[in-house]
Amino acid sequence: MTTAVKDNDTSLMERVNHLTRQARLAAAVFTQYSQEDVDRIVKAMTAAAIENVEKLARAACDETRMGLFEDKMLKNFVASEFHYHQIKDKKTVGIIREFPEDNMVEIAEPVGVILALSPVTNPTSTVIFKAMAAAKTRNSIIFSPHLMAADASNMAARVVYEAAIAAGAPKGFIGWVEKSSRLRRETELMMVHPEVDLIFATGGTGMVKAACSSGKPVLGVGSGNTPVYVHKSTNVRQAAMDIIISKTFDNGTECPSEQTLVVDREIAESLIEQFKEYGCHDCNEEETAKITETIIDARTGGMNYRMVGQPANLIAEKAGITVPPETKIILCEMKGDLRGNKLAVEKLMPVLSYVVVDSVEEGLNRALDINYGGGTGHTAGIFSEDEDVIEQFGTFINAGRIIVNSPTSIGGLGGIYNNLNTTLSFGCGTGGGNITTDNVGIKNLLNYKRVPRRKHFTLSFQTTKNIYINPGSIDHLRNIKTKRAFVVTSRSAARRGHLSMVLERLPQDCRVDVFSEVCEEPEWHTIEAALQVMKQSQPDTVIALGGGSVLDASKVMRLFHDYPDLKLQEIAFNFLDFRHRMAEFPKGVKTQLVAIPTTSGTGSEVTPFAVLKDSKSQRKLSLIDETLLPTVAIIDANLTKTLPRDITADTAFDALTHALEALVSTVASDYTDGLAFEAMRLIFEALPEVLKNPTNVVWRHKLHNASCLAGMAIGNASVGVNHALAHSLGGHYDVPHGRANGVFLVSTLEYNAQIPHKFMVQSCYPLWVADEKYARAAQFLGLDEDGKLAAVGKGEKPHKGNIKQLNLALRRAIYDLSAQCGQPMSIAELGISQEDFAAAMPDLVRGAFEDMAVKTNPAVPLFEDIKDLFINAYPPRQRP
Amino acid sequence: MTEKKKSKDSSIATKDVAQFRLPGPLVKSLDEVDKLLAAGSGDLNLDFSDCTFISVEGLEWLEEMLLRAQSKGVSISFSNVTPSVYKVFKVAHIDSVMGACGLPISGPVC
Repeated sequence: MTTAVKDNDTSLMERVNHLTRQARLAAAVFTQYSQEDVDRIVKAMTAAAIENVEKLARAACDETRMGLFEDKMLKNFVASEFHYHQIKDKKTVGIIREFPEDNMVEIAEPVGVILALSPVTNPTSTVIFKAMAAAKTRNSIIFSPHLMAADASNMAARVVYEAAIAAGAPKGFIGWVEKSSRLRRETELMMVHPEVDLIFATGGTGMVKAACSSGKPVLGVGSGNTPVYVHKSTNVRQAAMDIIISKTFDNGTECPSEQTLVVDREIAESLIEQFKEYGCHDCNEEETAKITETIIDARTGGMNYRMVGQPANLIAEKAGITVPPETKIILCEMKGDLRGNKLAVEKLMPVLSYVVVDSVEEGLNRALDINYGGGTGHTAGIFSEDEDVIEQFGTFINAGRIIVNSPTSIGGLGGIYNNLNTTLSFGCGTGGGNITTDNVGIKNLLNYKRVPRRKHFTLSFQTTKNIYINPGSIDHLRNIKTKRAFVVTSRSAARRGHLSMVLERLPQDCRVDVFSEVCEEPEWHTIEAALQVMKQSQPDTVIALGGGSVLDASKVMRLFHDYPDLKLQEIAFNFLDFRHRMAEFPKGVKTQLVAIPTTSGTGSEVTPFAVLKDSKSQRKLSLIDETLLPTVAIIDANLTKTLPRDITADTAFDALTHALEALVSTVASDYTDGLAFEAMRLIFEALPEVLKNPTNVVWRHKLHNASCLAGMAIGNASVGVNHALAHSLGGHYDVPHGRANGVFLVSTLEYNAQIPHKFMVQSCYPLWVADEKYARAAQFLGLDEDGKLAAVGKGEKPHKGNIKQLNLALRRAIYDLSAQCGQPMSIAELGISQEDFAAAMPDLVRGAFEDMAVKTNPAVPLFEDIKDLFINAYPPRQRP
Repeated sequence: MTEKKKSKDSSIATKDVAQFRLPGPLVKSLDEVDKLLAAGSGDLNLDFSDCTFISVEGLEWLEEMLLRAQSKGVSISFSNVTPSVYKVFKVAHIDSVMGACGLPISGPVC
């Protein structure tokens, strides 16, 4: 046997090195084995173990002089047959689990070389169990047996090892330390040996503590002190029988076995009588004192190890008590405060203490006393027919296994009385200084390699359902089904005659209320004022008539009218990713919203956005949700004919910015790209004409459409850094939004077309294509190299050689359009002094940096980038 | 199975390097390699292209053979090691074996 080390070898360290090196080579070779290979090996090991259950049980009893031969046989069966049944079909090689919904798989990786400590109480079954688990998971395992059980443990190791080798296992994958006077020292050396990857420690508290101090990963198993609550609702006969089965199992050596019963007074007498009838001895006070003296080590306060696993009559005899030789259990009542009672500890022998209680509360508290008195995290039991009591017990008691209406020792092993994983090692969680509360097994002997595939979110396209688009489409109001309409507008809309155009077209029998107090950048108090009116009028339709501010305000009014309990702050959280956002919007709205834009810029009539100004912080709150989408949009250019020139240009540049930013957004799609391209084309074509002839409804119509198309694009692809800069500048200096957008456009196009300092983190944006997309825009617009509309290269795919040229052409075209429209192209042109601008710079940069708009920009705008963009946008621009 | 090749490395250009292609899984010592080594016929390259499995015995032989080669001043190198066998080498982390795979003797390693 190459792995066995004899005491007469040269030195202890050489022996340790040899054993661990053998295990290391075997672990390395094991990595090549397939699932079929290991399953064949484990099957052979199981068969060999089953063939030898009796021989190994006999060896364990003979060597340790503990426990019962018949029960040791049963344990060997559990460790082999039951364990095999549980693991035989489990995947432990390659992909072992798939998570289709998460697009992820788990692949098993062996842990390597395991140092396994085996206990004196289960010297053969533990070895069978751990060796099979190691083989199943393609690990090497070196057994360090208890000195008092080393021969039996090593016999078990040899039996399964030889069977495994015959089935093709790698040489040396099971090793063991031979019995010697230096076994303990050898184990200590192994615990800190660099070739050992994991310590699997089942055994006495001292060894487990030593393992935990080794600095290695440890699967340690703590000591137990199992409380069992016998509630008055239980069947007394069943409880007595189960407890006897459990506590007498292998003469009480199983650590999950019952240690103290907590018994309701109502059934205490009948339970004890039942125990007596079944052959147990209930001690009187004098006998209890004698038993205590015999089984408790006065020096340590723990159990007397000489009594572990001894039969009840022998323990009684040692205590000077005469009991029949066939006595099953010695019962000792604990009176007074059990927290000071010497018997309230773990007793791995057929001695069972009990305490009588007067209520469920007292029962739970006494069970907690035992549970936290040396057995935290291990095992507990309850006998009850009352589900509520069982649930309470499970809630309060800290145990990895809470066994219900069954024997705790055999129940804890798993497989016989319940479907717990079969084990000989009971994880106790942090309560017992362990890393797991599992019934430790193969799942704890693997490294799990998670292989997540890239997430591909489903992109959607949403917009306002019904859009009426031609001049005169305001007539559609005549067909609106409404009995109570609430018109939201601004004072200027009333002045321009728009309000009367709406009122004239609403059905005769419709009650109409008008709220015309919405001003630029509406604040929450405006919404509240409107909601007061709506509360009275109870509209079925909200008609939003005006620019972006009116439309945004109306969306919020409709939402809060339908959901008055909604809290603004709870739906206005900033977020990194829309799909993971914290804000929870209601599902669906009842009141219809008809949006009638009177400017050609925001596209708010088709977006799920609304922006409000927070009166307290003066910050803008962005609300985003499909519940904000209007039900109907009426795009009637007649309403824009009287729009002043400056507002026409400002709002058109807002729309142009929408198109340009949606185009390169990280969540852009073919759907939004098409809209963005066409919106751009219409603006380049229509804006100069509208400015020349403002009342020409045909060009106004084109511009109005452009705004709506760009709105649909940003409604689904969002905006970018240009908007962040404009929001910050506009908020600070009260610059109209479209105008603020315009001063940055040339800079941000150049910035986004450069290879980013930092690429944007976005799963659905696998390729940085901003420069290519701008080039396509230039082609779509038919720009020549100088940025003039010349229909050159239209339709050709941009290639590396011309992308830069096309980008430049686009910037030149935007510059020229701005110049043609008299639109400011720099911050200086807005009348902001250089000193004031310099002083405001930190606030401006922070404002833009924190703006949600940057989250879909194709490059991450770093703090310095934003500062540079502001600085570069200050001086009057030269043509690019 | 064996052939002579001039080393690609100019520093050892004068030395012949015998090539030996492992015939398949390495589960025991390879007499032919042992004989080549014993004959002192120069440096040797073991081609692992066809070796998709290695046993503990194979690993032990490699380690021992490399020790013998070192004592004779013969350089042994491995080429075309398949990932499954290379992983075995990695997990076993035998210095001489990793050296034959070209791992630098000094400096940071991974």
